[in-house]
Amino acid sequence: MGEAIVITSGKGGVGKTTTSANIGTALALQGKHICLIDTDIGLRNLDVVMGLENRIIYDLVDAAEGRCRVQQALIRDKRFDCLHLLPAAQTKDKSALNPEQMKQIVEELKPDYDYIIIDCPAGIEQGYKNAVSGADQAVVVTTPDTSAVRDADRIIGLLEQEQTGSPKLVINRVRSHMSSRGEMLDVDDVVSTLAVDLLGMIVDDEEVIKAGHQGEPIAMNPKSRASIGYRNIARRILGESVPLMSIEEKKGFFSRLKGMLGLKA
Amino acid sequence: MKSGPPKNLVTIKGTKDGLTIMMDDRCSFDELKTELQEKIEKDKQVFGHGPEVEVTVDTGYRYVGTSEQEEIISLLKEAESIRIKEFRSEVISREEAERLREEESLTSITRIVRSGQVISVRGDVLLLGDVNPGGAVEATGNVYILGTLKGTARAGLEGNTGAVVCASVMEPTQISVSDVLFYAPDRYEKKQRQRPMFDEPVFAYIEAPDNQISFEKTRLLTQFQNKL
Ligand SMILES: Nc1ncnc2c1ncn2[C@@H]1O[C@H](COP(=O)(O)OP(=O)(O)O)[C@@H](O)[C@H]1O
Ligand SMILES: [Mg+2]
Repeated sequence: MGEAIVITSGKGGVGKTTTSANIGTALALQGKHICLIDTDIGLRNLDVVMGLENRIIYDLVDAAEGRCRVQQALIRDKRFDCLHLLPAAQTKDKSALNPEQMKQIVEELKPDYDYIIIDCPAGIEQGYKNAVSGADQAVVVTTPDTSAVRDADRIIGLLEQEQTGSPKLVINRVRSHMSSRGEMLDVDDVVSTLAVDLLGMIVDDEEVIKAGHQGEPIAMNPKSRASIGYRNIARRILGESVPLMSIEEKKGFFSRLKGMLGLKA
Repeated sequence: MKSGPPKNLVTIKGTKDGLTIMMDDRCSFDELKTELQEKIEKDKQVFGHGPEVEVTVDTGYRYVGTSEQEEIISLLKEAESIRIKEFRSEVISREEAERLREEESLTSITRIVRSGQVISVRGDVLLLGDVNPGGAVEATGNVYILGTLKGTARAGLEGNTGAVVCASVMEPTQISVSDVLFYAPDRYEKKQRQRPMFDEPVFAYIEAPDNQISFEKTRLLTQFQNKL
């Protein structure tokens, strides 16, 4: 029986879709059976980031409304047989789906997969409620800026009222030179404000943008630092204790962080 | 206990703070009203036409609701140059008692108040956790935060100007006590400082002469409250 993990953030553009694609890919690399669900109805792009946009026939709303079986709407990944995508509808809006339908679809998929990764739209309205309704666990993505952290905090507050319990945090687009110059929040500040477990950090890397453009998730590229970040996150989801990757070379920084999070080196 | 001999249901006493009208608490309210009316007629000279007298109405162990209070007030209006200072009674309604109990009570809450969340309490509140930016804690009494206040705190919600906001680490977005407001310095100024606003726990209060929010070390809170 699989586990459903929703990837959410509150704010748009912080990397939910990128994180969903790459966590999914990194887990598939480990041989896990993964289903990605894009719940950003009307603004779908998980298919684009995965390079699967040409293969869509049916979508999430078709499956919810019974125009097709859920299995018929699934698209198999180009790279992994064990990785599937349930795309969002592009022509409808968020109200075309309700939490009850979403829950049912997730329940139907669970027996066939190890993990179901749900890419959530921005905001805290209908789309968010749909995405969260089927999830057992939640991952909150933020970047180290004040407004993204504020929205992440809001979302964490809402998630704490759901059955997903306390979410895990991914800090995306970390740039070491900016926080040391005080132009961005320090990773320490973010973690201490949000007071949830840190699942991982991803460096800001233009290779990520290129990869998204080419429809080949960065997690496929073993040399990129962002890729290593995503692969480490996948290993942590699988229960391995992987030390946090050094983004900043500053001495003592990570031992301090690890101590704070109670992580073993 | 307060019932005197018959036909003396209402007694008027002069004290250094003005007049006190003591009312029997066993007889019927109508009897009281009749006698009060008679007394006012007869004792016109007590109230007289001189300088205004302050009157306290003491109803003993009788519960007097607002409508009865109004009846007494309208009777007393017959006598000129009277100002009613207060109604005093040994008893209050269950509702009032409940409210008073709430106002006196301390509610303690363990959690993080996140962006978009508001905790609202009657009486004092003790929060074991942080208030993040965009979150708020408010109380009709005092707000005590054993953690970091980065969001908003409102004390003395219904006008208590002696209320305070205490925090272990004071980095607020906004504080108010009663209707006096404090805004945090702009982020830019904060950056320049690079240090927390205070390096020890402080409380925020209304500083009397300027009627603005000031901060003082928590260990001086006893002095502040003694002065009130
Ligand atoms: N770690 C990163 N480094 C550089 N660019 C990134 C990174 N993560 C995301 N991006 C870029 O940011 C943009 C928004 O990301 P996306 O995943 O679509 O956000 P969301 O789904 O939260 O709206 C995309 O162009 C993406 O390529
Ligand atoms: Mg997206």
